[in-house]
Amino acid sequence: MIAVHNLVKEYGTFTAVDGITLDVRPGEIHGFLGPNGAGKTTTLRMIAGLLKPTSGRVEVNGHDVTKEPELAKASLGFIPDRPFIYEKLTAGEFLRFHAGLYGLDGDGVMERVHEMLDLFELRRWENELVESFSHGMKQRLVMCAAFLHRPRAVAVDEPMVGLDPRGARLIKDVFRRMSERGVAILMSTHTLEVAQEMCQRLSIILKGKIIAQGTVDEIRTLAGGGDDHLTSVFLRLTGGSALQELDEAV
Amino acid sequence: MKGAFTYLLLPHLWSSRNRAQRRERDDFTRALLFGGVAAGVFAALLYGAAWLTWQLDDYDELGDYLLRLGLSWIFMTFLAFLTFSGIVTALSTFFLSDDLRLLLTAPVAARRLFYARFTRTVAQSSWMVVVFITPVLLGIGLARCAPLGFYVTSALTIVPFAVIPVAVGTACTLLLVNVFPARRARDLLMLMGFLFAGSIVILLRMIRPEQLMHAESLPDVTGFFSTLQSPVTPLLPSFWAGELMFASLKGGRDFVHAGALWSTALALCVGLRAADERWHFSGYSRSQEAPKARFTKFHTLDALARVLPLSPVRKQLLVKDTKIFLRDVSQWSQLLLLVALMLIYLYNFRVLDLGRIPYMSGVIKNIYAFVNLGMAGFVLATVAVRFVFPAVSAEGPAFWLIRKSPISMHDFLWSKFWTGLVPVLLLTETLTIAANELLGVDPFLKIVAAVAIVFLSLALVGLATGLGARYPRFTADNPSQVAGSYGGVAFMILAVLLIIVMIVLLGWPSTTYLMFKLRRMTIPTARLIMMATSLAAAVAISIATWLHAMRSGVRALDAMSN
Repeated sequence: MIAVHNLVKEYGTFTAVDGITLDVRPGEIHGFLGPNGAGKTTTLRMIAGLLKPTSGRVEVNGHDVTKEPELAKASLGFIPDRPFIYEKLTAGEFLRFHAGLYGLDGDGVMERVHEMLDLFELRRWENELVESFSHGMKQRLVMCAAFLHRPRAVAVDEPMVGLDPRGARLIKDVFRRMSERGVAILMSTHTLEVAQEMCQRLSIILKGKIIAQGTVDEIRTLAGGGDDHLTSVFLRLTGGSALQELDEAV
Repeated sequence: MKGAFTYLLLPHLWSSRNRAQRRERDDFTRALLFGGVAAGVFAALLYGAAWLTWQLDDYDELGDYLLRLGLSWIFMTFLAFLTFSGIVTALSTFFLSDDLRLLLTAPVAARRLFYARFTRTVAQSSWMVVVFITPVLLGIGLARCAPLGFYVTSALTIVPFAVIPVAVGTACTLLLVNVFPARRARDLLMLMGFLFAGSIVILLRMIRPEQLMHAESLPDVTGFFSTLQSPVTPLLPSFWAGELMFASLKGGRDFVHAGALWSTALALCVGLRAADERWHFSGYSRSQEAPKARFTKFHTLDALARVLPLSPVRKQLLVKDTKIFLRDVSQWSQLLLLVALMLIYLYNFRVLDLGRIPYMSGVIKNIYAFVNLGMAGFVLATVAVRFVFPAVSAEGPAFWLIRKSPISMHDFLWSKFWTGLVPVLLLTETLTIAANELLGVDPFLKIVAAVAIVFLSLALVGLATGLGARYPRFTADNPSQVAGSYGGVAFMILAVLLIIVMIVLLGWPSTTYLMFKLRRMTIPTARLIMMATSLAAAVAISIATWLHAMRSGVRALDAMSN
């Protein structure tokens, strides 16, 4: 599980994340929605231990990220929006190194690496340098790495960007299967269809604050809509429905 | 192994191995070029050190004293270099490096990460010092027929000697990053570094070491050497390293200074590790923050561009290149160092005391005019490799913007050429005219040199732009990295060759003219034709180099787009 309590991140006088509280239970896929610059990535980076919160607390599977960073990180799979991969390593070498970082050792490691490469349809490229990979292939490789150590919680930033429909479908299936096995998944996304289709609960963030939280139906009710599509609800809540004079602009 | 800090260094080793295994086009030529240059420098340093040590042998105790002092000063120079290099490298390895985004999300203990990063910092900051000091110590050892212990001691001295200043530099970085955001700290450091280097160079020049060459100032020599020793020096690791090396050169052992070096290095490592465990994460976290940057808008530049008789494309490229250059502290701050070097260069001509050789001063002055031309050419080549050669690579990942725009690669590259030519020409022309004026050379030579610089600028700026387009490095972190690449080294070699050819082609007709003028004789027609041919050849070679390099650059860019 991922638990965030009153999380605040200030950059000088600017408050990027302003007292966020959210809770992702085991087996839940929690959608984290918000317009650009709302504070989604900053929140996820604090959960992953890449940024120090100004105040508040983050717990991953019961371990405080600030006080027990190694234990918290060991049980988290983090997929950032701009992942780093060593370009001059092969996919196999990168995954082996990644496994070592999480303390995976012994004969089982290569088996697990192959299992992941098969799952994400990258086995053919195991011995190719990462620099020759397309964006989508790199994205799938990062997922392989993130799930290699069988994390019990996952924080993922924009997982569908750059994936073809087949890749996107694969990721959705993997997330669903993981959630069935009790993994808590916090997923930031701009693709509202994905959020509507996959997430049991949603949190909508605007200017660093959670402005709505609950199931898709609860959020619809909160926004005062009936059977509206999630996009209309989202735009109504985040104030982005005012369309520009398109004719003029185009 | 997986728990050891060395595991975190594996990706770099594997990457190097993979790079070596997957050879690319031109790799062999590249290796040959770099290997040749490296071997040449190594041999020159080794021979130079050995020769100097042999010379000092003639002065018995004074020679020993000077050698001991020299060793201490070599280490002192490296101490300053390593400290500054440590600060800058640590900024990158501990805070700005991309792979930290991966490593910090993994359950890696802070201590383990520290050791891996510190090892990398020490290696990255000190490899140049090691490469430089090895042939020097080897030369000294060979000249003095030093025992094997000297070479073992050398290795055992260099390690802690490199660790100490790099640890101090890393500690400074840790402090800085916790006060300023890392990117702002980097800019600040760059500026401070170049200001520091510039002032040191000016200060050293102001001591006027040429006075020591006069016989009447012999008593000053002892005074000069005594100023090199100060009460602080024995407290510095450079002194310990120098003493240790000197003792082992003499076949002795100096446990006191060896102990001082190793214990200081270890103590600093332990202290730094504790500080890193306490403050690294907060510093790294700050380095991820991107506060709104303050920057100058350069409205004057926009206004100036509006009145320039250029096409809109060239105008916009010029404005973009100039703004980016002026907003990047690491770029323009290097100009400060260059200006300092130029001032010293001109100052040297001012204080040059040629009156001491009354009968020869006229001839020497005119010879100096060609030395000056060569030096100006070398300055030109250095400025071109550092600022013009990386011009295409500087587009970096944004090069797609140019490629998808309706701009021909010809227009793009020529715009880069003109942007580079104007400042480079102004700089070197000023340098040449001012130096020749201060020297008081013959008016004919003044004109030849001034015209030669115009053609040399066209040739070298064209060569730098063209080769920069043929060997771009869009993924380089900074322009210095581009300048040090295969294409950059190839440019420097070609540039030096061109300068030599130009000096020969200009020197012969010019000196012939002066000789005839001095003897008040008329130049025979055949000789005149040969002189004109020589001058015309110089002009033709410059223009051919310029246009051929540019054409080849445009072709390379076109090939890239297809």
